[in-house]
Amino acid sequence: MSVIQVQNLNKSYNNLQALTEISFELHKGEIFGIIGPDGAGKSTLFNILATLLAPDSGDVSILGMDLNRDYKKIRKEIGYLPGTFSLYPDLTVLENLKFFAAMYQSGIRENLTMIMPIWRQLIPFKNRLVGKLSGGMKQKLALCCALIHKPHILLLDEPTTGVDPVSRREFWDLLAQIKSYGISVLVSTPYMDEVTRCDRIALLEKGRFIVIDTPPQIIKDYKGKLYALKTTQLFYLLELLDQYEENCSFYPYGEYLHISFYQDVEQAVIRFRDFLNQNQINYNSFQEITPILEDCFIELIKKNRDVHH
Amino acid sequence: MNQLLAIIRKELIHIYRDKISLFLMLSMPIVLIILFGFTISTEIPNAKISIYDQSEDVQSKRLIQSLTASGYFQVVNYPKSEKEIAEDFSQLQIKAAIIIPPQFEKKLISEKEVELQVINDMSDINVASVIKQYIETVILNFENDINLTEFGKIGQLKVSIQMKYNPELNSVYMFVPGIITLIMIIITALMSSITLARESETNTMKMMLITPVKKIHIVLGKVIPYMALSFLSTLIILAISVWIFDMPIKGNIFVLLILCIVFMFTSASFGLLISAISKTQLDAMMITMMGLFLPTVLLSGFLFPLDNMPYGFQLLANIFPAKWFILALKDIMIKGATFIDIWFYVAVLLFISTLLTIFSVTQIDRRRAS
Repeated sequence: MSVIQVQNLNKSYNNLQALTEISFELHKGEIFGIIGPDGAGKSTLFNILATLLAPDSGDVSILGMDLNRDYKKIRKEIGYLPGTFSLYPDLTVLENLKFFAAMYQSGIRENLTMIMPIWRQLIPFKNRLVGKLSGGMKQKLALCCALIHKPHILLLDEPTTGVDPVSRREFWDLLAQIKSYGISVLVSTPYMDEVTRCDRIALLEKGRFIVIDTPPQIIKDYKGKLYALKTTQLFYLLELLDQYEENCSFYPYGEYLHISFYQDVEQAVIRFRDFLNQNQINYNSFQEITPILEDCFIELIKKNRDVHH
Repeated sequence: MNQLLAIIRKELIHIYRDKISLFLMLSMPIVLIILFGFTISTEIPNAKISIYDQSEDVQSKRLIQSLTASGYFQVVNYPKSEKEIAEDFSQLQIKAAIIIPPQFEKKLISEKEVELQVINDMSDINVASVIKQYIETVILNFENDINLTEFGKIGQLKVSIQMKYNPELNSVYMFVPGIITLIMIIITALMSSITLARESETNTMKMMLITPVKKIHIVLGKVIPYMALSFLSTLIILAISVWIFDMPIKGNIFVLLILCIVFMFTSASFGLLISAISKTQLDAMMITMMGLFLPTVLLSGFLFPLDNMPYGFQLLANIFPAKWFILALKDIMIKGATFIDIWFYVAVLLFISTLLTIFSVTQIDRRRAS
């Protein structure tokens, strides 16, 4: 059963196409992740689903209601956490929560069990001004405010951006808990490590969904063989590789260079070793590795750019 | 309703937490009125006066002596006619003229009240009021003097002030309506447009718009606290004007307050208009200053009389509500106008506010792009 159905959604600002032919479904009780670089159109998609922005064309139905016609009813059923911090810094934690509860005309007490796992962590700070909270605490409070009216769907636009790694992990633990209440979560993130915690993910690039699948399936679908090379002459090598005309793609990954070969892999690897030796590149290791999601995404984005240029 | 109250309560917390703005909002009326009220030094030694002695008897001579001996005045002429007094004002630049009635001594003994006419140059209200006080002091001493000596109890000397040059008090108490206008604009229009722009700037407007709360509740909840504050400031201004500057309120105080409330709504509607067309707090501030504050100061007749302006500007002044508000306020305070006398001004103000409110509320589009 799906709680959000989007079909052929388009949105443009002036002449800039922000979203192109977006189609996907959010199933009940799943965490659906949207990953994409800045400017890919993530926030636009969230604003549309949160009823703040009207799409140019396409059908969007949320809990069986039409987005354009029933947006007022939809508002009661969704919780939204925008990409930018949107609480009142000069109000205390409790005052913020009370305010949003009042806006939804729902009592705090009846819904406390729902937000309790998060609220428990905030109780020691409940009389502190929100402007003086840490980034992680702010986002936890924002999550409380978005959940206070027991929504069916939670829209989280980059909830962990600017949050420290420990708080980020805690935040995702909370999402898992929210999911267990049967709430469906649509979440966007620029962090690769977080996507693995989603049930399904969509990769958004220049306003298009390049792929929608479960994380294991995406890795399984990786085309080619991935090699990692460790060298101290990484930048020099990258310059050299500009002229290297072989069917392979490469990108720096930390102190490594990741290279993927597509056809005739054994021969291609030998030719690459020769190229390294010819140019007197010293390298510590050069071996095949299994791709992780990030490799798959980089691959998919590259391929997508080649198709559209 | 609960939603509206929650928004009002939240806005009051914002105001209360922002101590500097709160202090400015409450102290501004006091500072403005004191600045306008006391800009001229009140020390006036040796003010030039003329005395027209119509009786020339013993007591009138004694009164003149008291006046000259007081040190406050320098009697520059003893005119023999009212025409000569007028010449003294223009040629000798006297600040006041005192006319002692005929048969002064006789009247002092036989009549209960003796009227002493003082013609005051009202073109400068501060000088005029100080001189009036000086004269009253001298006359009081004079009365006590006589009472103690030869006559026993005499008739009371009544000083009747005749105002010259500025008989309708134009520009004299003019600064009070002007200040009320400015305060209303600053608090109701500027502050409420800034607070609405701030919600858009900090994205909290977005958060409110996706809740089921009605647009009109958001707007009312944001504006009502500032309306209340500006009303409080108006009361402070009126209190200071009446108690410190002896401002007359000839008309009914309730009519005056109703008028102020109407203008409060007009200012609030301007605040809405400004917030509808501005995206940031800075925009809101600049638009209020250039589009509302300056025209109000320049074109309301507050500082510069409208009659002397080119016809085009006089026409332009009509679209700014301040002109109508100040006209109505002056009529109530100085002429004692009733509600029936000022209904036209009130109607104009209500018309402007309704128009702007309808326009602005429709502008706060729920689907405004971020």
